[in-house]
Amino acid sequence: MTERRITTAAAFRATLARDLLIAYKRKNDIINPFMFFLIVATLFPIGISPDPQRLGEIAAGVLWISALLAAMLSMDNLYRADYEDGSLEQLLLSPHPLYFMVLAKNISHWLVSGLPVVLASPLIAYMLNLPTDVYFALFMTLLLGTPVLSLLGSIGVALTVGLGSRGLILAVITLPMSVPVLIAGTMAVQQTLNGAPLTAYLAILGAMLLASITLAPLASAAALRISIN
Amino acid sequence: MWQWFFKLGSPKWFYELSGKWLPWLVAAMSLLLVIGITWALLFVPPDYQQGNTIRIMYIHVPFASISLAFFPLMAVAGTITLVWRMKLADMVAKTAAPLGAWFTALALISGSIWGSDIWGTWWIWDGRLTSMLLQFFLLVGVISLRSALEDTDAAAKACAVLSIVGCINVFVIKYSVDWWNTLHQPSSPIGMAGDSANGPEIWVPLVIMIVAVYLFFAVSLILSTRNEILQRERRSKWVQELLASA
Repeated sequence: MTERRITTAAAFRATLARDLLIAYKRKNDIINPFMFFLIVATLFPIGISPDPQRLGEIAAGVLWISALLAAMLSMDNLYRADYEDGSLEQLLLSPHPLYFMVLAKNISHWLVSGLPVVLASPLIAYMLNLPTDVYFALFMTLLLGTPVLSLLGSIGVALTVGLGSRGLILAVITLPMSVPVLIAGTMAVQQTLNGAPLTAYLAILGAMLLASITLAPLASAAALRISIN
Repeated sequence: MWQWFFKLGSPKWFYELSGKWLPWLVAAMSLLLVIGITWALLFVPPDYQQGNTIRIMYIHVPFASISLAFFPLMAVAGTITLVWRMKLADMVAKTAAPLGAWFTALALISGSIWGSDIWGTWWIWDGRLTSMLLQFFLLVGVISLRSALEDTDAAAKACAVLSIVGCINVFVIKYSVDWWNTLHQPSSPIGMAGDSANGPEIWVPLVIMIVAVYLFFAVSLILSTRNEILQRERRSKWVQELLASA
């Protein structure tokens, strides 16, 4: 029996490419989280105050919370379709370490749902009257922080993938876990406004990103194995 | 060498052993609670700044200190569940989650009452208060995940993973939130050391109350674990015999 060996790197690339292709074919997956992000960000000026002064003070928090909610909403797509059509089981049966497969799925999820939010953040920041000198801080913290949100959220999705209705339970599990990222992100912007150097906060967010790249996919993989017996 | 360890995993063995311990634990707990509460409420001198309000400390500090133990406990039990598939570990983890939520809520409520007098506000977004609130939410998450999963085995493993992740997260949350905003005083050193701010008439009843609340925690955990054992093992022979004889 001749069997073609596929390296783990090739399997990683194939999983990533497949997920990106699926997202490209179903453009709603890209557009919906982004629209959700825009709409949530729009609710704050309407709900709190259209006063530019006050909006400028809360703009960083508004953007972070909107990004967090958008990441969480889009999480549902991460494993659900694969779970329903059985390809998730195939992924678990593959001889390659599940860690890399999960990481590939997380990266594709972030590219599809996180990156557009990061790229659009300066525009929303402008609309919310965030002082211009902290645009860079906001952009960088979102760039480092949103992948962490995807990686953490993936654990919650993996734990609940077998459940019928799980929108709320996912939120209850994932949102408290995301608090450190939220704090580091908004603190960085606030402190930059006060003239403190940004590097310390970027280092902390970078550390969170590295720690969650190494650990979170392991937890997600274990959770997936539990959810799919 | 490992035999005792696996014996520990047998629900029946635990049920019998804990049945023997329970009267002693309850007796010690009641004694210490009565002494501690009487001493704290009637004999501790009023604080020179806080007056009689200081007596809330004797409830608040024990509950707050023990509620920090729940996530490590659930993470250890979860690890045992995942590695050794020990049924008892999961029963402990399952009963620990609601207990932890109650203890955390009591710590928050007692602290809030204390704060309403001393800080002049019932709630403030301080590091410790916020991290306790988030720990409460994380515990609620574990409870709701447990109740959402119907299969006991899958629920056990899923909650084990969530508890381990949550345990790491509780520490990260604690640090990040402290760093974010802090008003709550750090804990004062308890002990004989000369630099201790408080005399023995303050801290001895506190130590008694802490031990009493720890015993209360142990008793509650054992009682609800025994309950869980009976429910899950209701089809086994020894439980049927036990119920028949009762």
